[in-house]
Amino acid sequence: MILKKSFIIIISFCLMQFLSNNSYTVEPDEVLKNQKQELRARNISKNVRCMVCQNQSIDDSNAPLAKDLRILIRSKIKDGKNDEEIYKFLTDRYGDFILLKPPLKLSTLALWFFPFIFLIIGIFIVFYHNKKSKNF
Amino acid sequence: MAPSLGNFLLWLSLFFATFQFFASRKKNNLKLKFITIAVGGLLISSLLAFFLLIYVHVVSDFSVLNVFQNSHTTKPLLYKISGVWGNHEGSMLLWIIVLTIFNYFIFKLYNKKNFSFISKTLETQAFIIIGFVLFTILTSNPFERIIPEQNDGLGFNPILQDPALAIHPPLLYIGYVGFSAAFSISIATLNFNNNEKIPWYNYMKPFVMAAWTFLTIGIALGSVWAYYELGWGGWWFWDPVENASLMPWLLGTALLHSLIIVEKRKSLQSWVLLLSILAFLLSVLGTFLVRSGILTSVHTFALDPSRGLYILIFTALLGGYSLILYGTKSKKYFNNDFFSFLSKEGSILINNILMVIVCATVFLGTVYPLLIEAFTNNKISVGEPYYNSTVIPILIPAILVMGIGPLLAWKKEDKSKIFKKIFPSILLTGIMTILIFSIYRSYTLIGIVGIILSFWIISNNLIILIRKNKKYSIGMIIAHLGVGFLILGITGSSVWQEERITRMKFSEETKIKEHKIVFEKIDEIKGANYIALQGNFLVYDENGNIFTKLKPENRFYPVTSNFTTEASIHTNLFRDLYIVLGEGNLNEGWVVRIYYNPLVVWIWIGALVIFLGGLVSINANVKKLKILEQ
Amino acid sequence: MKKQLIIIPSILFLLILLTFFYLLIIERNPSEIPSNLIEKNVPKFEAESLINSKKFISHDEFGNEIILVNFFATWCKPCIEEHIYIQRFADEEKIRVIGINYKDNPKKTIKWLNKLGNPYSNVLLDKNGRIAIDWGVYGIPETYVVNSKGIIKYKHIGPITEKIYKKINSLTKEIK
Repeated sequence: MILKKSFIIIISFCLMQFLSNNSYTVEPDEVLKNQKQELRARNISKNVRCMVCQNQSIDDSNAPLAKDLRILIRSKIKDGKNDEEIYKFLTDRYGDFILLKPPLKLSTLALWFFPFIFLIIGIFIVFYHNKKSKNF
Repeated sequence: MAPSLGNFLLWLSLFFATFQFFASRKKNNLKLKFITIAVGGLLISSLLAFFLLIYVHVVSDFSVLNVFQNSHTTKPLLYKISGVWGNHEGSMLLWIIVLTIFNYFIFKLYNKKNFSFISKTLETQAFIIIGFVLFTILTSNPFERIIPEQNDGLGFNPILQDPALAIHPPLLYIGYVGFSAAFSISIATLNFNNNEKIPWYNYMKPFVMAAWTFLTIGIALGSVWAYYELGWGGWWFWDPVENASLMPWLLGTALLHSLIIVEKRKSLQSWVLLLSILAFLLSVLGTFLVRSGILTSVHTFALDPSRGLYILIFTALLGGYSLILYGTKSKKYFNNDFFSFLSKEGSILINNILMVIVCATVFLGTVYPLLIEAFTNNKISVGEPYYNSTVIPILIPAILVMGIGPLLAWKKEDKSKIFKKIFPSILLTGIMTILIFSIYRSYTLIGIVGIILSFWIISNNLIILIRKNKKYSIGMIIAHLGVGFLILGITGSSVWQEERITRMKFSEETKIKEHKIVFEKIDEIKGANYIALQGNFLVYDENGNIFTKLKPENRFYPVTSNFTTEASIHTNLFRDLYIVLGEGNLNEGWVVRIYYNPLVVWIWIGALVIFLGGLVSINANVKKLKILEQ
Repeated sequence: MKKQLIIIPSILFLLILLTFFYLLIIERNPSEIPSNLIEKNVPKFEAESLINSKKFISHDEFGNEIILVNFFATWCKPCIEEHIYIQRFADEEKIRVIGINYKDNPKKTIKWLNKLGNPYSNVLLDKNGRIAIDWGVYGIPETYVVNSKGIIKYKHIGPITEKIYKKINSLTKEIK
């Protein structure tokens, strides 16, 4: 029994060393008491990219930087900042890369409008075809 | 001995592929004999090379660089084998054998009438094979040796040691690579004068069905693995490599539907020829994105720009040739057979347009960060929020049309009959929707839309089944039902998920939905190549009875010094109960994350049912082809 | 009409391939994210110093001379590898280097610097990582070159190598 307990202690210590450099996604101690604020924090976090890991949001990520940013976002929400201000704080420091939803700028106009243009072309093809087949 | 033999066999495959290429171009009496030798030799040498690579992995021959880099003596046998295709060089061998197997099936199509046509097809296929074999030999040879020979290997990433992930690449590659056959047939058709009226679409259809069916299950298995393995219940991340597999799938979906029209009504031929070219080009481009080092992703293989340059040039050659060929020669396949939009053809055309729009959007999102980087030296991310805003609105009408499409008549549907045809399914959809919302009482717009769409598909196809109307293809009904289940699972798990994150000490309890969960204890356990802390959680149902014990683990793999978390999941048709053990200690307790994921299993059921429908269709198409060829 | 429908996408396809070609042949690290702080003023911050009791106030210290800012920690292996170069910046090139100790234990840092040598004119403590966030740091070690007007001119992510050492040296000579 003692052996078992000490094994658990050793393993959990090793894990902690690793995990304290790699803490887990949203932890119980991070969660805000105010549910509305917490929901806002989760939604913002889902849109913030984890800079260290590949293609995850900070909401999902294990990385320590992700945790720091989650805590930072929550403290800013408590300070009364709105979503835009929080996003600006992050992009000022990390650039547009940190946003999972690409911002609408001159350089991303094509990105946001082309799907719409594709749709227009598609509808156009439909009408063109319909016109041709109206004859029967 | 084995590695040298393997290397020799690779060169031999190159020889046979080159032989096939030239033999299929020449006109002489021995042509058939030469091609037969080439196809057979190519198949056998490539398969032998592949089996030899498996052999050196299984016997842990660490003189081979590939084995050293990716294996270890303590790796379980199953993963020694699947580790063969889990790395770049080995997976190139997998590409090659699938190419040569499909090459063989193209060869089997030979009959007296189509000799020159099939020869032309084999010529293109040979060219593709040469491209890939040469690439493998020059830049990614799996039989390369390491000097001096090592005692043991570097191991293998433990999160990749999973049954779903073991089988995921072979299935996926049958998909990607299968489109090569459709591509080759398309090139042959464009080059051909077709005086004898070769039914190229009859040849193309079984290949497209096979490629699409296996691509579907291949993609699904990747998602299954992500869900069970990665620890936060996600299964799709719009990662560039995932998108690279989705794009051929989308075009493949469009292709198999429009092939139906070509077969039945002989219209849309030039469109189908273009689609089959694009589908394979996207497969090759996808290979480029994954292996060139141009972007990083969890999925990318080792980064190497020289490999990237080769594939890029190969893509440019293949793409340039095929698109120019299409531009100049497709005119003879235009026809003026028109149909009303309110018809089976019309709904398939709508499906095609929408699938192409989604594919173009996914392509745009995947490639855009690279374009921005090249032109502005800035980096942006295109993540889930982008795809959700752009792709979902387009899929909604596609699914609506999918429900009603099969019911419509060819050429022109009588407007007065439509209501009668769809009324029963509207009613059934309504009933099923009300029923499910009485169980899961959470109402959001996207949730309601998703549920209605899934039941729309399910009820339409259930009604077709009940009416036992022989004119509908069974494969289609099953596959469409599968899509309905898939949408059900996706919607339920996305909009009704609940989460509980808390810190627990032994004997403490928490509650999620109707379940009380008690943290019993932690055990230490030993696996084949890992040690782990295993949490024991008792789960109670609403009546207070224990119905399961969940045991999430935190594992440590000593060879690679990797830590992984293994979620513990209880699945039933209504929901998954998903527990992950976080960090902690005996004093402060442990972080525990519990997810309640409704209807998740329907995603996997849906994918499996689509796969089964696809298999039924492949069988039907092959049978039909055999009859036609008599 | 049909011809245009296929020519335009084909040209776009070609352009995209050319872009990929360009990205392959230039020297770039696909996982590295360019800094948003280049050509901008040093972030305003205050920090505790490891060595002296006086609080470090950024706008007092930056804006007088060229300074290298190096984010490091004792638990970071690459930081040990690059240490020799940081030492050379201080000793041979006589450039002032400020070290920012990221999420570390000050006692361990003192031991670490005693063992390896202390090239820093000042060592600031960033115990909770907020200063690093203000600088846009996402993975240590990271090194910034700040000119005499307090403007960030260059950032390097990862340990300093011989090549980067030379690059930073020529850069500091340029901006003098």
